[in-house]
Amino acid sequence: MEVVVLAKWVPVTQEEELKLVRGEKAVDLEEIPFRLNEWDTYAIEEASRILEAHGGTGWVVSLGGEEADTALRRGLAMGLGKGALIETEEELVDPFERAQIFKNFLEKKGIKFDLLLSGVQAEDDQFAATGGILAGLLDLPYATMVMGIEEISEGEVTVLRELEGGFMERVRISLPAVLSVQTGINEPRYVSVTGVLAAAKKEREFLPVDEFSEGRKGRIEILKLEFPPPREGAEIIKGDLDEVVENIFEILKEKGVR
Amino acid sequence: MGYALVVGETRGGVIEERSLDPVYFSDKIGLPSYLLLPQGKYDPLKGVCDKVLVSSFEEGDFLNPLNLVRTVEGVIGAFGAPSLILFPHSSFGMDAAPFLAGRLSWPLITDIAGFYRDEEGMVFVKPLYSEKVHAHFRLRDARGVVGTVRTGAFEGEGMRKETVFERLEAIEKDPRREFLGYLEEEVGDVDITRAELLVSVGRGVKEKENIPTFEELASLLGGTLSCSRPVADRGWLPKSRQVGTSGKTVKPKVYLAMGISGAFQHIAGMKNSEVIIAVNRDPSAPIFQYAHYGVIEDMHKVAQKMIERLKGQG
Amino acid sequence: MEVAIRKEDLFACIQCGKCTGSCPEAGKTPFNVRMMVRKVLFDEWNEEDLLWFCSSCGACTVRCPRDVRPSEVVVGLRAAMVEAGRVPTSLYQALENTLVQKNPWGRSKNKRDEWTAPLDFQIPFIGDGDLHTLLFVCCVQAYDPRCQVIPRNFAKVLHTAGVPFGILGRKEVCCGNEIRRVGEWGLFRELREENSRNFKRYGVERIVALSPHCMNAFRKEYDGVVQDVLHYTQFLWELIREGAIEPKGEYPKRVVYHDPCFLGKQNGVFDEPREILRAIPALELLEFSRSRENSLCCEGGGGRMFIDVEAGERNGERRVKEAEELGAEVIATACPFCLLNLEDAATVLDAAIEVKDITEILMEVL
Repeated sequence: MEVVVLAKWVPVTQEEELKLVRGEKAVDLEEIPFRLNEWDTYAIEEASRILEAHGGTGWVVSLGGEEADTALRRGLAMGLGKGALIETEEELVDPFERAQIFKNFLEKKGIKFDLLLSGVQAEDDQFAATGGILAGLLDLPYATMVMGIEEISEGEVTVLRELEGGFMERVRISLPAVLSVQTGINEPRYVSVTGVLAAAKKEREFLPVDEFSEGRKGRIEILKLEFPPPREGAEIIKGDLDEVVENIFEILKEKGVR
Repeated sequence: MGYALVVGETRGGVIEERSLDPVYFSDKIGLPSYLLLPQGKYDPLKGVCDKVLVSSFEEGDFLNPLNLVRTVEGVIGAFGAPSLILFPHSSFGMDAAPFLAGRLSWPLITDIAGFYRDEEGMVFVKPLYSEKVHAHFRLRDARGVVGTVRTGAFEGEGMRKETVFERLEAIEKDPRREFLGYLEEEVGDVDITRAELLVSVGRGVKEKENIPTFEELASLLGGTLSCSRPVADRGWLPKSRQVGTSGKTVKPKVYLAMGISGAFQHIAGMKNSEVIIAVNRDPSAPIFQYAHYGVIEDMHKVAQKMIERLKGQG
Repeated sequence: MEVAIRKEDLFACIQCGKCTGSCPEAGKTPFNVRMMVRKVLFDEWNEEDLLWFCSSCGACTVRCPRDVRPSEVVVGLRAAMVEAGRVPTSLYQALENTLVQKNPWGRSKNKRDEWTAPLDFQIPFIGDGDLHTLLFVCCVQAYDPRCQVIPRNFAKVLHTAGVPFGILGRKEVCCGNEIRRVGEWGLFRELREENSRNFKRYGVERIVALSPHCMNAFRKEYDGVVQDVLHYTQFLWELIREGAIEPKGEYPKRVVYHDPCFLGKQNGVFDEPREILRAIPALELLEFSRSRENSLCCEGGGGRMFIDVEAGERNGERRVKEAEELGAEVIATACPFCLLNLEDAATVLDAAIEVKDITEILMEVL
């Protein structure tokens, strides 16, 4: 089997106080730590397991600046065989444009995969679009929110998709296909720092984005960024433990649940 | 005249309420809305949208992105190209919208949470970076756009319309993806969506051994125990107790969030609770932004004290 | 790859059982270090789940008459597991957090100095001016709301006494002691390198560590990059002896001191914390029967602060009960892990006993 996994190197912003720069069109990412996108870790793990079970080769591909090499090395340390970094320092906000670049890469390199995996979404923009658009451009069957790959047999795969409210959907998809996987689909193996360093010896290509820029075009652009209005926070119940608990019971009584 | 094609979603034949969010969005933009749905009867939709387009596909096949592309192409053939093709930002929307955008070669904006117009045209607002920043997007080509709309971002303006129902011509299925059926997660003992009071525990509960204390608290209060994702992921409580986008959405009278930090996906599952009381040791926990009342204290201490009082009262 | 113990060294083991006899996990969990050493020696060991019970208290290594160093054998086996990618899920998260945010709790590294905000004075950055004494804060104490009071107290004491010192602030990264104890040596080396570089760059000649775990790392695992490494109690005792600070107020309570493993049995610091407490007027100092080298491990070390294991009755609870039996009103300690574990235990048991760090008691009487 041939499997390709898309991996994104993303900033970790949950706890950060963000600042806007470049005329309020971008966020200052200078001091923000980065990591391999959480969803993509699951995608890489899933790909590694599929290859372990069925044999074959796996690619990990990333689009970004040179630091994204760490994302590749994580993927290689986790069991994928080859890596490619499509290098660019541009901030590509339009997932359509990213998908076009990936399509060009796959076609120019002549990669005929059985499965292309991505994560459901990236932690930074949460667009949840690149994988699906890529499938559309390649005209390959697609499914996202994949929480289980049940069976892979001759030319087809059966997957479980996560729906709302605790429901799931089972679908059969013919290969080649593109799937976007959800967190929790597996338990990713830990790869040590030493392991990731050692992965630097594995085959990796560094390619300029210009090689794959034919026909690519950003169709949406950021007019500006702004901080959402601060929410009214909670009324903090003050006092010692006894007073606080007393207060809580008052609230419960008011709502008629005590 | 332009229109917005809204692709709706049903589950077990019942229309999902979130399918109407894109309709409200079209109202805000000022475009007539054509709501596209699978086989079924949709009388309650009278007055809500301008057209209801009923596909020949059954629900399972309709929601299949590959078939949906063919369905949409059929609509375009019959009614002309819409200005926008909209989906709810749901599992289905995330499945179909990007794929459709790729097939049609239309730009895509997901999770649209706001909209306005400026001198140059339409501006779509989408949150980025864990909700910390709102991005205002503009289209470069003024043509069509595919979008998914955030649930609850737009409200109905109570407009009453003359709804026309149309049946669409039958289309052949795309054989490359097939719907095999629905499954439900293992049915838990209790349906948390029915509880009036929920005691919900998060990571702060720290260990499985601490769960019984909160079970006791919930029970003494006459409520039910629920949890956030990390607790369910670890198997300390069954998935049926999980509150959040990938678990259940709850609207109890009282939601007592203990040791829950307030990740967005969790908030989405409980923000419509009538009263949210958050107990957390960390004063900067995001949950305090959403709760009505906050207690900055160790959840274990609070639980112990509450149990003590409840038992003391016999 | 670094090796913790060579297998040949394990032949010295005579299976006397002193290790398991002193192990805080023995009896209540299936973890048996004596048996583990034997199985490793004969290539029969395959119980990786048991490895994660060890809290690195070091009692086994202190007691072993043959210098087998069983606690190091555990670390070595853990390192093999880490390289093989077989770690408990809870540990995975802590390691990822440390890699990205330089602390196992995954708190933003850009907020590592927020604990200083409520102070009404500025603590200088170690690189400014002619400062050579570094206060190394520690991850837990930088971020945990309960523990942040400790560095603040300590800073206030030094500031009032006019002692020159500096901090690394946001440049401080995890000391890596626990990271090394869980076997992630690659990550430990990265942390050590980053801290060491900063120690050298800023001319650090003396490190005062708030946590015994950090002190342990700098003393034993950092290749002597800085020779003069003290725990804060040693530093405070010096100041009290010199008269630079004077406990004047009364603290009329019965206080029992709990020896943290990394301070006491592993680094021999038993007396200074006690001397500080004895110097406080009206304080009645009690002793646990299991004290000093025999102190009961709170189960916070060896990564146990962030690894989930089902370890039966928690030693923290045992300790609180022991303190109650002694008639103590306060348990005093000098390690943030002990503090948190004992306090959690006191909460769960709903005990009347208070758990306090030595700086907290000192602040009330200065």
